[in-house]
Amino acid sequence: MVNIIIDGRKIKAKEGSTILENAEELKIEIPTLCHHKELSPFGACRLCAVEVKTNGKWKMTTSCNTAVDQGMEIRTDSDKVRESRRLSAQLLYYKYPTTAVVRDMAWKLGVEVSEDAKAEGHDCILCGLCVRACREIVDTGALTFRDRGLGRDIDEPRIEFDPKLCIGCGSCAYVCPTGYVKMEAVEDKRIIWDKVFKMAACKVCGKYFAPQDQLEYIGKKTGVPLDKLYICVNCR
Amino acid sequence: MDTASFSSWNGKIVDNRKGKVAKSADIKFPAQLGVDNVSAAMGWNGLVVMDPDADIISLTMNYLKEARKLSCGECSVCRIGIDRLLDIFGKMAEGDGNKKDLFEVQQITRGVSVNSKCNFGRSVLFPVLDSIKYYRSDFLALIKGERKLETKEYSYAVTAPCMEACPASLDIPGYIELIRNSRFEESLNLIREKCILPGVVGRVCPHPCEDACVRQDIDGPLSIRLLKRAVADYDLQEGGSPLTGTVEEKEEKVAIIGSGPAGLAAAYNLRLMEYKVTIFETLPRAGGMATVGIPDYRLPKDILNHEIDLIKRMGVEIKLNTKVEKLNLKELQKKGYKAVFLAVGAHIGTTIGAEGEDKGYEGFVDGVEFLRDMNLGKKIQPQKKVVVVGGGNTALDCARSCVRIGFDNVEIIYRRSRAEMPASDEEIEEAEKEGVKFNYLMTPVKILEKDGKVTGVECIKMRLGVHDESGRRRPIPVKGSEFTMDTVMVIPAIGQRPDLPAMIGKDKVEVTDWGTIKADPVSFKTNIEGVFAGGDCVTGPAILIEAMDMGNKVARSIDYYLRGEGLKREISFEGVNTREQREQGFIAEKAAEKVDLLDVDKRSEGFAEVESGYDVSEAMREAQRCLRCYRLMVWEQAG
Repeated sequence: MVNIIIDGRKIKAKEGSTILENAEELKIEIPTLCHHKELSPFGACRLCAVEVKTNGKWKMTTSCNTAVDQGMEIRTDSDKVRESRRLSAQLLYYKYPTTAVVRDMAWKLGVEVSEDAKAEGHDCILCGLCVRACREIVDTGALTFRDRGLGRDIDEPRIEFDPKLCIGCGSCAYVCPTGYVKMEAVEDKRIIWDKVFKMAACKVCGKYFAPQDQLEYIGKKTGVPLDKLYICVNCR
Repeated sequence: MDTASFSSWNGKIVDNRKGKVAKSADIKFPAQLGVDNVSAAMGWNGLVVMDPDADIISLTMNYLKEARKLSCGECSVCRIGIDRLLDIFGKMAEGDGNKKDLFEVQQITRGVSVNSKCNFGRSVLFPVLDSIKYYRSDFLALIKGERKLETKEYSYAVTAPCMEACPASLDIPGYIELIRNSRFEESLNLIREKCILPGVVGRVCPHPCEDACVRQDIDGPLSIRLLKRAVADYDLQEGGSPLTGTVEEKEEKVAIIGSGPAGLAAAYNLRLMEYKVTIFETLPRAGGMATVGIPDYRLPKDILNHEIDLIKRMGVEIKLNTKVEKLNLKELQKKGYKAVFLAVGAHIGTTIGAEGEDKGYEGFVDGVEFLRDMNLGKKIQPQKKVVVVGGGNTALDCARSCVRIGFDNVEIIYRRSRAEMPASDEEIEEAEKEGVKFNYLMTPVKILEKDGKVTGVECIKMRLGVHDESGRRRPIPVKGSEFTMDTVMVIPAIGQRPDLPAMIGKDKVEVTDWGTIKADPVSFKTNIEGVFAGGDCVTGPAILIEAMDMGNKVARSIDYYLRGEGLKREISFEGVNTREQREQGFIAEKAAEKVDLLDVDKRSEGFAEVESGYDVSEAMREAQRCLRCYRLMVWEQAG
C-alpha cells in the first residue's frame, strides 16, 4: 500500500492501482469515454485529466493510465483540470456534433451544445475500446488501430477490421460507446462489420444463440468438445 | 544571413525586427539544417525567421498540415486539435475570420500541449503560439482582409532523439508504434528499409538510440534493440518473409569486395535499384565481422545466415573463398563492373606495445584471429589460464568465449578503470557473473616465455591522469610497479585495423596515416574513378549498424554516379538538441519489460544464446512506453 492524497483526502492505495480507480472508490466522479475496468487503459479521450504534483509543480496527466506512487498528491477538480476537460470535450464535440454520448459529455463539462443538430450520429470516436476488447478479452486481434505517422499516407486514422480473424462474438459492439459498431441478427445470421456469420442453434431448445465460428474458436481454445458447446446457456 | 530577424527557439525570444541591436538566435538556420535559402523555419521548439518578408501565416498553416500527418490519432486532443486549428486558419484565409478566433487558437494550442498523450502532441504546437503572439498584426491583417496569403515553396524534415542517435536514422518511433498496434509485419518492413539485418542488429547493437531516449532520465530507456529483435524473431517464427525484390535488371554491374554488414547493405540496396551485384569474399563464410567477429552466444549463426540468405535470394551473387589479392580494379572494370565498393572491414588486431608480442610465441593469439578461428570451426583446446588484454567488446567476446570453451581461469587486464571501459555495461556485468576476473589499471609490458611457449606476462600498474582527446582520463604508468602474472595464453584485443589487400597498393588507392582507406565522407568516393569505400576499412572499427548504414549510403552514391548525377545533400539536425522541448508534462514511471537470460551455470556448457527475446505481448507492452518524440521542422524556401 502507498499513501496518496486526492483532493486533500489522505488515503492508502494499492500499489500499481491507477488514480482513476482510487478516485472511483472515493466516489469522486471523473469523466471518461474510453475507459472500461476490464480492459487496459488507453488514454484516448483525455477527459479523465487530473493534476499531479511533481517536483513541487502541478502537472496534467490522465488518471486512467497513471499508477499511484508513494506520496502522490492529486487534484481532480482544479480550474486547470476543469478547463482541460472542457477543451477535450469541446474538441470531441466539434468533430462529432451529432453523436449522443459526445453531446452529453460536452454539455456536462460546460461546452455550449447546439440544439440545431440532432443526436442521431453514430461516429467512431477512436476510443479504442473495441480494439482492446477484441485483443484482451477475446484474444483474436481482428480489430487494430491504423495510425497516421511518418511516411504513412493516411488522411484519417481508423479502426481496421480483419474478417479472417473475427469470430463474430460481438464484444466490440457491446463495448462501443457510440453505436458505431453495429450488430444485426436476422434469423440464423449475425452481421457485424459487414461480415455475415452463421448462427448455431441450441441442440436442446433450437434457438439460435451464438455464431458457429465463435463456438469453434472456443472449442479450439478450451478443448471442450463441440457437441457440448452447441447447447445454449439456458439449457446447460 | 547570420542573424535571425526573429527567433523563439527553445522559448528564448530574439527579436531584431525593430532596428534593435542585432542578437543572434539560439539556433543557426539554415546552416544547421544543411539546406540553402531558408527564409523562415518552424519546428517543435519554436519559430526562426531569417527574412523579415517571410509569410508567417502560410508557414504556420503548412506546418500544421505536416503536423497533421504525424499526429497518430490515438488521442483525441492532438488529432482533433490540429484539425480545428487548420479549420480556423482556413476560415481566416477565406475572409471569415474573427479576432476571437486567435483566442481559441491559443486555448487549443495550450490545451493540446498540456494534455496530449505523447511528446509529439505535447511539443508540436508551441511555435503556433509564437506565431500568433509575435506576428499577431499579420493575422489581424488577414482577418481584416488587408492581407493575402502568399504561395511559397515549403519543405519539411522529421526526426526524433532516438533517430538522431541511430547511425542509420531508423524511424524508431514508427516501427515501435506498429508493434504497439500489433502490426509486426509492417514494422519489419519499415525496419528493413534502412536495416537489412534486423535480427542481427536486434541482438548485437550497442543501441546508441537508447542512450538518447527521453525516458533515459525518467525510468530507463525503451528497450529499442529488443523491440527490433522481437519483430525479426516473430517473422522467423512465422516462416520468414522474403525481401521485396526486383525482377528487372539494369545492364550495369557492381562489384563489392567484402560481405560484411557494409557490403551486404550496399548489395541489397543496389539490387533494389536493379543493378547486378557480385560480392567477393575472402573467407569461406559470408557476413564479415558479423560472422567471424561475434560469438554464437550473442548472435546464433542461423539468424545471420537467414538474413544473408534473404539478400542472396534477391539475386545478389556472393563468391566465397575469393582472395581479393587476385583481383585488381582494372581487371574488374574490364570484366564490366562499372563501380567497385571496397568494404573489406578491419580484421587485423593492433599491437599492444609489449616486448615479445611479435615473436610468434605459442599461446599468444590476437583477439580477432582467435574469434575468427573459433567462428570458422577451429577446435580450441581449453587451457588452465588465459589473460585477455583490452576493455572493448572484442576483449569481452574473447573472454566470455574462453569461459564457454572451458578455460579454468579467464582474466581481463585493462589499462584504465571500469568507468572508462568501452564495452557495454551489460557485457561487463554478464562476464562478471560468468566468472571472468577483471584487473583494472594495468598494462602488459613483456610477454614471458619458455621454449617459445607463453608462461606469463609482465605488467605495469597505471594511474589515471588528465582527460585526453577521447574524453577519457589518460592512463600513466606507475614507475617501478612492474609485476608478473602467470598464464599460458595471452589474447591481445585492444583494437583493429584494416587488412588492406595488395590490390590497394598496386592500384594506388589512397590510404590515411591510420591505415584506413581515404574516402569522401559524403560520396564515399576514393581517389580512383568508379571505386568507393566504406565500413570499418574507412572508419576503423565501428559498430555494426554504422558500417551497415555506410553500405546504404554507398549504394545511393553509386546509383547517382552510374546515372551521371550529382549527389544531393541530406537534411541534418546535427547540433540541434532534439531532446529539448518547451514543456515535458507528466510522465508516469514504468520500467522496461524484463527479458530472461540463460542461467549462469549453463553458460559454461556451450555457446547457447544468453539473451531470450520478447514475445509478442511483451513487445507490445514495451512499445506502449514509447513517448513518440517526433520532431517536425517545416521551412519556407526563399524564392
